[in-house]
Amino acid sequence: MDYARFVALRRPLWESFERDATAARRRRDLSYADVEELALRYRQVLQDHAWARAHFPGTGAAQRLLRLAVLGGTVLQREDEGRFSLVRFFFSRFPAAVRASMPWIGVAAALFAVTALLGWAVAVYEPGVAVAVLGPRTIDGLEHGHLWTESLTTTVPPSFSSSAIATNNMSVAILAWAGGALFGLGSVWVAMFNGFILGAVFGVTARFSMAAELGTFVVAHGLLEITLILVCAGAGLGIGVAILRAGDLPRSITVPRAAREALVVLLGCLPWFLLLAIVEGFLSPSTELPFLWKALLGVALEVCFLTPIALGAIKEPDAAAEAAS
Amino acid sequence: MPTDDLSPDLGTVLSLDNVPVELPLARVGSRVLAGVLDYFLLFLVLLAWSAGVLGLDMSLGLRPGWGIAVWLLGMFALEYGYFAAQEAAFDGRTVGKRVFGLRVVARDGAAAGTGALLVRNIVRSLDLLVGVLLMAIDPLSRRLGDRLAGTLVVHQRQASEELVVARLPPGWSAAETQLVESYLRRARELEPQARLALGRRLERWIDDRAPGFLPGLPGPDPLPRLWNGFRQESR
Repeated sequence: MDYARFVALRRPLWESFERDATAARRRRDLSYADVEELALRYRQVLQDHAWARAHFPGTGAAQRLLRLAVLGGTVLQREDEGRFSLVRFFFSRFPAAVRASMPWIGVAAALFAVTALLGWAVAVYEPGVAVAVLGPRTIDGLEHGHLWTESLTTTVPPSFSSSAIATNNMSVAILAWAGGALFGLGSVWVAMFNGFILGAVFGVTARFSMAAELGTFVVAHGLLEITLILVCAGAGLGIGVAILRAGDLPRSITVPRAAREALVVLLGCLPWFLLLAIVEGFLSPSTELPFLWKALLGVALEVCFLTPIALGAIKEPDAAAEAAS
Repeated sequence: MPTDDLSPDLGTVLSLDNVPVELPLARVGSRVLAGVLDYFLLFLVLLAWSAGVLGLDMSLGLRPGWGIAVWLLGMFALEYGYFAAQEAAFDGRTVGKRVFGLRVVARDGAAAGTGALLVRNIVRSLDLLVGVLLMAIDPLSRRLGDRLAGTLVVHQRQASEELVVARLPPGWSAAETQLVESYLRRARELEPQARLALGRRLERWIDDRAPGFLPGLPGPDPLPRLWNGFRQESR
């Protein structure tokens, strides 16, 4: 068949397919019959595309058919994500994804613990580091028996500090997660850096005999905050490992799969940062709330976060046993 | 990062019935242009948000700290959500991508899922450092976010950029067809002198090879005669 005849015969099909596929992109209520009919015409367009590509490459018809082939691909094929349910996400998807990342969360926690000890030791035995970490004004305040956290209530309204804390912590969590893309190095850095700073801060306050005051300030929010950062860093490490590890499948498949799983972890953690920021901005600086209440609140928050994850871990062997029987 | 791949050629996907479709991949230049436009628009949106919150704060007389608290949360949401929300809502397109005719698609040419679009935009801040270099050296022009999400960015050409002739001399090859279509498509954009010179050469060449195909006799402007000869009907 020559080019002009091919174009004359097939143009009505191309035009009708383009019109209907463009309209279908905007509609979410296509019936099965609509999709099947469109898919049939898409197959015809693909055959025409293959023919034009082989016999008349680079011509207007070949270009047009390539455009229609790409259009049809994006209209008729979509990555299957299922129906989103908030309850299912927080009580099933998220706990499962956290459990799957557990080995890497463990690695992040170990790195954090080691560097926290290191930071503590350095701050206790090397006073120069204290000034570098906290700044001369804070050290001056500590020498006079004032913790820098006092200024949180006196200089800025708690609504503002909450908002600033939430956005800062979420940025750190996102950095810990995204840093996994740099072969996991970014996640390792966030875990180690935060561990070192926390250890150093406690070391410095211990030197001025104010570690108990700092403990009272952080106990309500600190436990879960550190957990969340480490969970996100662990998820990021999971991505880094998927990039580094050679397996049976190519990385173009395994890396996006690992990233998708890690995304569930990150999205499940972010709302907790908002809640924690309210605690840190409004309750943690309070001098009226005794240590015990703050500690109870901190433990309660941690338990709330960990319970669905732990329950899922108990449920899983049950489900496996049921399937086996 | 290695670029392992299962498809027969890089950038070629197997569509329904295993028909290979060579995706028109967008390269680093057009993607950077779209990015620059989007970041400029994001800057304007951030400015508008700041002005809006400031105006509300002043007119409503909010309690101290609440205005700035809302402003900060909004800035954070816009910074991380501007690209992801648009791509999720408009099938892989932001305003910048729309202007430059680009679209994010999945690795197999399907529409990218919301999860993939979120992943590719969460690492955007890292891509500001390494993305351009990665796109420049990758055969599929993927930045870090694309590798993590399993996405590609393709050109979505406009129908107006295509021209399909409806009539040809018998036995013409693809190269000859392409030549005529290319001239007729570009004729209006060419400088008048270049258009006339090229058109006359093309007209002579066709008259020599296929006498009588073009209607009438050569005139001062060869374009109408060429146009009528090939009976261009499409856009």
